[in-house]
Amino acid sequence: MLPAMATTNDSWSEQLRRGGLELAILLAVAPGPRYGLEIIRHLQEFTDLVVTEGTIYPILGRLSRDGLLRAEWQAAAAHPRKYYTLTAAGGRRLKVMVDDWRAFASKIDRLMKAASKEAANESL
Amino acid sequence: MNLSDAGESRIRGYLFMLESSLRSFMKRELADDAVREVESHIRDRVREVEPMPNERDVLNRLLDDIGSPHRLARAYSAEMAVDEAVASGRIGSIARALLAVARTTAEGFAAALGLLLGYLMAFAFLIIAIMKPIFPDNVGVRWQNGEFRGAGWEVSIDPGTVVTHGWWLAFVSLIAGALLLRATHRGARRYLRRVSVRRQARAPLTTPDRAR
Repeated sequence: MLPAMATTNDSWSEQLRRGGLELAILLAVAPGPRYGLEIIRHLQEFTDLVVTEGTIYPILGRLSRDGLLRAEWQAAAAHPRKYYTLTAAGGRRLKVMVDDWRAFASKIDRLMKAASKEAANESL
Repeated sequence: MNLSDAGESRIRGYLFMLESSLRSFMKRELADDAVREVESHIRDRVREVEPMPNERDVLNRLLDDIGSPHRLARAYSAEMAVDEAVASGRIGSIARALLAVARTTAEGFAAALGLLLGYLMAFAFLIIAIMKPIFPDNVGVRWQNGEFRGAGWEVSIDPGTVVTHGWWLAFVSLIAGALLLRATHRGARRYLRRVSVRRQARAPLTTPDRAR
């Protein structure tokens, strides 16, 4: 029973992490151009969403193909780096995602408060 | 920071494996770009850990953090599967894309299941047609004592069973298999194209009215 429960929790956390990662990446590049490692470091500073560093690059590639990010190689002092910038479509998408996230979080929060209140009333 | 020859060789080996894995499903220029980006990441990470007391351990840890070349290639494959399948139309690419879509939504799972059934039925028909010249007595409509027993390819025929209309059945199976394969394949490409367009169309979404 316990291993099955752990697997279910892992799967749920994994899905939550995957769902949040796209939003987190768009938020990371919203202030200005950033390259891959900068994005990873920024996310690691605030979240634990990036488990395997390399797997962020395929997502950056998809977001670029979808027109949400613009990728551009720039010659840096040591070696070239690929910088990502939010496009206008990316900005619109980010706004929708932020609104969705806030609405969803507030609904779940209200649900949790109601459940706690009901549980407290039951125990009286 | 200059790496030793052994360190450089370790990184080259990692990038070579990544490139080989990516080339199996990505266009050359896309694979090269992806490898270049991962190399840039590795070079930045190496610069971060100056001075490097034990180069081998540091490189191992660094490459572990990035993930194995195969894991990285799988992640690229999952992200690119749909676009690649739509562009190439190859059965292998379509199967990979359907698998990826099936894992993401209930609708994707149902569509992938339906399309998989279509492919299986098409191949079953084609196998019947192919088996006729190889096992001429085992393909056809089977009768026993004047009663219908089945039709298709049977590995072993029971004594007393009469097999008729073999070549006719093989011909019909060939036509049915080819048509079903074509229809399923076109359906799969059309569905994946819709998935791809829908994903891209999410970009300029305007906020719909939501119950708060």
